Amino acid sequence: MRTRMFVVFAGLSLMCATTHVRAHHAFAAEFDAKKPIKLEGAVTKVEWINPHAWIHIDVKRPDGNVDKWMIEGGTPNTLFRRGVNKNSLPHGTVIIVDGYQAKDGTLKGNGRDITFADGRKLFIGSTGTGAPGDPK
Amino acid sequence: MKRHVLLAAILFVALTLPAAGQAPRRTPWGDPDLQGLWTNATITPFERPAELSGKPVLTEQEAAEYEKRTNQARDADSRAGGTEADLGRAYNQFWYDRGTKVVASRRTSLVVDPPDGRVPALTPEGQAKADARAAARKRSPADGPEDRPLAERCILWPTAGPPMLPSGYNNNYQILQTPGYVVILIEMIHDVRIIPLDGRPHAPQNIRQWMGDSRGRWDGNTLVVTTTNFTGKTNFRGANENLRLVERFTRVDGDEINYEFAVEDPSSFTKPWTAAIPMTKTDGPIFEYACHEGNYGMTNVLSGARAEESR
Repeated sequence: MRTRMFVVFAGLSLMCATTHVRAHHAFAAEFDAKKPIKLEGAVTKVEWINPHAWIHIDVKRPDGNVDKWMIEGGTPNTLFRRGVNKNSLPHGTVIIVDGYQAKDGTLKGNGRDITFADGRKLFIGSTGTGAPGDPK
Repeated sequence: MKRHVLLAAILFVALTLPAAGQAPRRTPWGDPDLQGLWTNATITPFERPAELSGKPVLTEQEAAEYEKRTNQARDADSRAGGTEADLGRAYNQFWYDRGTKVVASRRTSLVVDPPDGRVPALTPEGQAKADARAAARKRSPADGPEDRPLAERCILWPTAGPPMLPSGYNNNYQILQTPGYVVILIEMIHDVRIIPLDGRPHAPQNIRQWMGDSRGRWDGNTLVVTTTNFTGKTNFRGANENLRLVERFTRVDGDEINYEFAVEDPSSFTKPWTAAIPMTKTDGPIFEYACHEGNYGMTNVLSGARAEESR
């Protein structure tokens, strides 16, 4: 019985690993896995648009010049349900973005993770965020 | 004593199960009432994973363990599998809304027939067509927008189907009824199905639509929707334009609709198959998802492909 239960649980963990993930489009076609980015910059604009929100930030280079980056986020619908809206990132907020740069070499990236300058995560995992479908 | 136990058991079953003769909710004009806001988000996979073959249903303990493991794995900051896999996951879990629970039946697949929980093999004709599509995608993955998947082009999502399947987010639906019609508003990608119930015939065979041509009828308390006239471009699980889809919506109780669909396409599948996806009550509102509003992703995918070619 114990062995059988182990087999089932082992199966379950494989099942987790293979669960299908799907964003609106293929991120591997848009961004380059060979170009990971870590950026720190101040928010200049949030485009609260479908199918994905875009966060614009000014990133200062060591020489003092400023690069204007665009960071792709999730669907506004989901973010709104989680209590995030365009006012959650006011103009001037400094954020750190962890992601990958666009394949075409322009200053665009995906917002895999976003943290505030003090290290607080802006966006955390799903469970317990009060999103629809969360365990009560 | 035994008799008392038996009587108690019968009484318990009678009190806890919805009685067969219990009147279902009805609209003012007498149709079964399916109206409301519903979600089909679930972590149960569409097909039964090979590792769980022969295990169609989880016990309560296994289901709880599976939910815990899945939700923990999804929430973890995993970079496992290298940067390609990390990029494929797109974001951390916050950006998704895929549900956190298995279906109430605790089945290990949404496919219920065949009993192995797997979509049947394609026919030689179906396989040849699938191979040709795969070869075309490989030959020109991003020459123009037409080469990209329907979801990227904001034409059609699996959430709308039909059949209507859960996806990464926006798995929300509103059902409205009028005398003679059932209307389904689908959050992703703000599609609407307006299904006539008056017995009118399907559109002529030469009329082909992305979402097919749906006709509904009541079979007792169940709404039965038959859809034909698909295009050969949606290819649901390998189906082609001959697909005949029969969906069944049965309100189980106030909080759940049992949604089942049967897939018939003898030219593509070696046998018909069926899946069941519960739709559960959810809170509103449904938000608009104007998919092409800021679809920078499409431009970026195409310009990314041009950049790769010039390397």
